[in-house]
Amino acid sequence: MLEISDLYQRFGERVAVDKLSLAVDKGEIVGLVGRNGAGKTTTMRAVMGILQPLGGSITWCGHAVGLPDRLRFGYMPEERGLYPQMRVLAQVAYFARLHGVELHAATSQAQRWITSLGLEGREQDRVVALSHGNQQRVQLAVALVYQPELLVLDEPFAGLDPSAVDFLSDVLRAEAARGTAVLFSSHQLDLVERLCRRIVILEQGRVVANGTLDELRARVPQRLRVQVATSSDWTAALKGIEIVSQDSAGVLLAVTPGMDTQAVLRIAMQAGSVEHFGFESGGLVDLYRQLVPN
Amino acid sequence: MNRVAAIRLIAGREIAERLRGRATWIMTGITTVIAVALIVGPAVLRPPSRPAVVGLVGTSAQALAPALLATAKAVGIDMTTMNVASDSAARSELTPSQTAGRSSRALGQLLTSLQGGQATLDVALRVDTGSATIEYYQTASPTITALLRAVVEEVHQRDVLIQAGVASATVGAAQQPEPVATLTLQPPPSDLAGRSIAALAAGILLYVSVGIFGAAVANGVAQEKTSRTAEVLLAAVTPSDLMTGKVIGIGLVGLGQMAVTVGAALIANALAQSSQVPSEVWVLLPAILLWFVLGYALYAFGFAAAGAMVARQEEVQSVTAPFSAFLIGGFLLTYVSIARPDASWVKVVSYLPPLMPILMPARLALGHVAVWETPLAVVIMVASIYGMARLAGRIYAAGLVRGGARLSWTAALRLRS
Repeated sequence: MLEISDLYQRFGERVAVDKLSLAVDKGEIVGLVGRNGAGKTTTMRAVMGILQPLGGSITWCGHAVGLPDRLRFGYMPEERGLYPQMRVLAQVAYFARLHGVELHAATSQAQRWITSLGLEGREQDRVVALSHGNQQRVQLAVALVYQPELLVLDEPFAGLDPSAVDFLSDVLRAEAARGTAVLFSSHQLDLVERLCRRIVILEQGRVVANGTLDELRARVPQRLRVQVATSSDWTAALKGIEIVSQDSAGVLLAVTPGMDTQAVLRIAMQAGSVEHFGFESGGLVDLYRQLVPN
Repeated sequence: MNRVAAIRLIAGREIAERLRGRATWIMTGITTVIAVALIVGPAVLRPPSRPAVVGLVGTSAQALAPALLATAKAVGIDMTTMNVASDSAARSELTPSQTAGRSSRALGQLLTSLQGGQATLDVALRVDTGSATIEYYQTASPTITALLRAVVEEVHQRDVLIQAGVASATVGAAQQPEPVATLTLQPPPSDLAGRSIAALAAGILLYVSVGIFGAAVANGVAQEKTSRTAEVLLAAVTPSDLMTGKVIGIGLVGLGQMAVTVGAALIANALAQSSQVPSEVWVLLPAILLWFVLGYALYAFGFAAAGAMVARQEEVQSVTAPFSAFLIGGFLLTYVSIARPDASWVKVVSYLPPLMPILMPARLALGHVAVWETPLAVVIMVASIYGMARLAGRIYAAGLVRGGARLSWTAALRLRS
């Protein structure tokens, strides 16, 4: 298990990460979301030892992370990091060897990942000659080739077409099923919602929410959608209730503690035929907007 | 993975990728061709040596032939004479012949010019009553003209004295000069020219090779930084191992290139049986090798730090300018050390670590390095390399993962990894 406790990092006067704590279990996919500059990349770089944090601790299976641990971590930086002129197979095998895999095994594992990531036939191509999507696949192969126990992926879906996104999602699910802990960041919240068991929302270097989607929903007011077949404005009778939105799909009401939802139903029925009455579960996009105000 | 294995792997990748790239082979080819051309070229272009031919116009001049040949022999000049009937015939024989044929005319003229002409005569001599004329086409050997002048004057003096009634034996004795002894207080080494060429060759070779391979290190580091490859690498290896592996890998490629060039030069020299290359150059090879390794190590770590300071690949040249300036300075001082090898300040500056890799082998070639100096210089150099590696390692580690604009040297020296 990866545990980050009270991580603190500052660049000059700017605090990048402020007492940040989170954990990733083996076999768990955790999504890190937040606006640009929220501290996602700094956190990941600290996990990978690329920068030395000014405070806090990072442990793996109970002990402080060191170079031997990081040899078993797979990493994909935000801006891709490959040798542009190096050939695909040689490059993937080289990174496997840097992570301690023997020469023969490195080549065979590199070939296996190249094939399974759909790059068969491009082994001898230089990386620079590949499309952006294929370069992304090579970068993923570099992160996976030595069967890491932890995957740290910074914006792995950026710039991918929908089929590549689905493909990468399947790979991450398969890795998690194998027992790999996965920590990844993304601005594509629908993807994070689909893939992650747990979501960590960062804002100005701090964790503002950390939990499953249901746990995050519990932290924000519920919404009640009511659709009534009537031409009159029946909502005028809803005294003291916040109307979030009103459109052809009906009226969306903010549910507050102690609110009498049965009274709302009675008012709706008096106005006309009630076609829809039910609580709505907000998606991550909605939750994010509520948890991270502009 | 232990540190040695990681460094070996990084160095191995550098070697493999550079050997796979065309640039390495093109550069090796160019330097090899230049080295071979410098050795074989003079041997090919040098005209075959022949005795100087003096044309004697008219009977009076022709009568001087025995005296001219005897004097030439006495002073060790390879000279022969040829009787010429007239002035016009002499001028014709003094004029270099032109190579016929349209297509090869230009080349023929060039070779004629390079080889000093293909005339039959080098100089012509005509003696008249009361005067003598020495005639040549464009230039003439001052030694030959002095010899002709001396013989003409000697014969003229003898004729005048005998006509005045002086006995022939007396004239002969008078013209027999007293032997004049020469005493050189400090004779120059017999191989001074060869040593100077060797010093210059060592200076050029070290200046070029350290500069080229040092710049290759800076460019390699800058590429890893700007392509963000360094970020992925640093998750698996320490910055110092990454830097050391790169420096060793590129250095070994450089040594290999030097070996190919020097090997080709040795073979060319043997095949051409050329005496153009002084033996000092070959004797100096181990020293050049030693100073390449030391000089490259010192500069390569500095170049690596410089490469980690850039934000864009194009900035490499400007950030490495201080190192280039030291290398150029060392190279220029090689000329000074050849001209003033005894100057004490030349000795002092040759101990400055950035100048040492170029000036020490040059001084060594000139024969002005005492036995104890080389070990002392090596110790100073090794200590400097260690200090440079420590300093460069700090800048490298901090600069490699740092975003934003290019770092200045002042800011870089304040960085902490």
